[in-house]
Amino acid sequence: MSYFIDLVIVGLSIGMVYALVALGISLIYSGLDVVHFAHGEIYMLGAFIGLWIFKTFHLPFPLVLLGSMILTGLVGMFIERVFYRRILRGGGGYTVGGMAMVICGFGMSIVLQNVAFLIWGPRAVPFPVSYGMPVELGNITLPAAYVWIVAAALLLMAALHLFLKHTRLGLAVRAVAGNKEIAYLMGINVPMTISVIFGVACALGAAAGVLVGPINYVYVLMGLGILIKAFAAAVIGGFGSLPGAVLGGLLVGVIESLGAGYLSGSYKDIYAFILLIFVLMVRPAGLFGVLAKVKA
Amino acid sequence: MTDPMTDETAPVTEGAMMRATPVRHLAPWLVGLAVMVPLPWVAFNDYQRYLLDLILINVILAVGLNIVKGFAGQVTVGHVALMAIGAYTSAVLTTKFGAPFWFALPGAMLMTAVAGAIVGIPSFRLEGAYLALATLGLAESVRIFISATDYLGASVGYSDIPPPSLFGMPLNSFRSYYFVVMPLAVAGVYFSFCMLRSNIGRAFKALREDPLAAAASGINVRKYKSLAFIVSALYAGCAGSLAAHMSPGFLHPNSYTLVEMVTVLLMVVLGGIGHVWGGIIGAIIVTIIYDLTREYYQYQLLIFGLVIVLTVMFMPTGIGGIIDRYLVNRGFAAIRKARKDAA
Repeated sequence: MSYFIDLVIVGLSIGMVYALVALGISLIYSGLDVVHFAHGEIYMLGAFIGLWIFKTFHLPFPLVLLGSMILTGLVGMFIERVFYRRILRGGGGYTVGGMAMVICGFGMSIVLQNVAFLIWGPRAVPFPVSYGMPVELGNITLPAAYVWIVAAALLLMAALHLFLKHTRLGLAVRAVAGNKEIAYLMGINVPMTISVIFGVACALGAAAGVLVGPINYVYVLMGLGILIKAFAAAVIGGFGSLPGAVLGGLLVGVIESLGAGYLSGSYKDIYAFILLIFVLMVRPAGLFGVLAKVKA
Repeated sequence: MTDPMTDETAPVTEGAMMRATPVRHLAPWLVGLAVMVPLPWVAFNDYQRYLLDLILINVILAVGLNIVKGFAGQVTVGHVALMAIGAYTSAVLTTKFGAPFWFALPGAMLMTAVAGAIVGIPSFRLEGAYLALATLGLAESVRIFISATDYLGASVGYSDIPPPSLFGMPLNSFRSYYFVVMPLAVAGVYFSFCMLRSNIGRAFKALREDPLAAAASGINVRKYKSLAFIVSALYAGCAGSLAAHMSPGFLHPNSYTLVEMVTVLLMVVLGGIGHVWGGIIGAIIVTIIYDLTREYYQYQLLIFGLVIVLTVMFMPTGIGGIIDRYLVNRGFAAIRKARKDAA
């Protein structure tokens, strides 16, 4: 039984990381109606930028997290402004622009991967942060890293909620997600708001990368695996729904952890895909499809 | 070495093709075939022959992908996995069951067609980005499954796949293998032309433009979607099997990653989505550039990615689209000139 609880706890904390990436993907989808296929690389970039800040400035971990989020957010806004805006002028969704965006996302993911490869090299680098002593909860001992991940992720989600529901910019983001034309008529600077959406989404991805760094290594190819898992999370929760993305992320994390623990560890990465394909075929609106109608 | 392919048949316009008698219909293809036969002797060394084989295999793959992606408008990202299924099926059939290549090839194609039908199932309910996700998930599952299964060589790779033999003579040189690949590639291109100019091709195009309108005009959407996936899977299986048996007869799951997918995607995007010649032009250009720049591995992929992004941004119809526009403009110019002369 305690083995089971251990697996669930590990799954939940990894699930939080998936949830953060899935939140970014879902945010972009709800705002722009496109799927961002390069988001896994943003996560990888965030981890590397965090590592760079940590090694150069020797800042405490929360500041490293914050710095990486800001820098990666700026990178995301740059990519959106320079590359995606031109394509998205034709509209998202199932239009020509939306299709082009799928292909362009793949191209961009290869570009970012190789830029990182040229800067940081092919080796897997450890992220030498010590989180401190394990935390004891009753008779279960938790590595402090998992507590950190869950706490930081919950904090970020709360911050996102506050941003979206209680600030003027958040209101603008929700208006753009609802209807761009009407948002224009209401005097909202739509292109700028879209840039903000991209920046926030990329910052969330970077946070996930920095959080997962210390328990995994940081390497150039880390983005691909998480991309598909985060997609699985976003789709399971209902694409475009933010609470759904969080629940989906937790579900993917727990199922993967249980599958690895009880079935077979070497097929660990397939469980999320099987879940994804199953949900897509049976219930494309996601398990929490009702939530999916409420955008952002 | 690639000019004959494009030059011999390019002037044949769609209208002329449809009116042509069977003899005239086949003539450009037979000329093309005749031009392609001596190519291995034109090539200077074994490396160029190898490149020639590789180009033709990629042509098969790109033409197949163009059918489902360009003509039926289904965004699938799992094509490389289909190729992997074809390659491994063919390898297992020849090494574990001792089947000759000539049975393994159709066997692999059949197996891939079944896989293609399965990949096509999500397309009934999903569109656009969702479909891309589902196929990406399937593709990655296949690759991870292969790299974790000992029977298929796991991450060590699958070696000692025999070359095909004809009357007891092994076709293990690149020159002799060319004569296995080339007829199949030409037949594949011919078949895709025939299909896309038939009512099936028109149904595909209707499906791409608007599935709802297509269904309203009496097109069985599910049937044609599955058909597109199965036909393109046949191409992928054929390409996979051919790639498996080419010397040195070695397969590795890492040959079927997202990077390879992007390479195949680049062929179709650069050549022109929904343009048969586009897939062929793209396959030729990309394969040659890919092999020439092999030494600069990291820059190569960077450039490939950038070319995809920039092509989508500035040249969404690809090279094929530019050729099309040129031909149309020339047509208009001719009409204008005729009117001027008459006046």
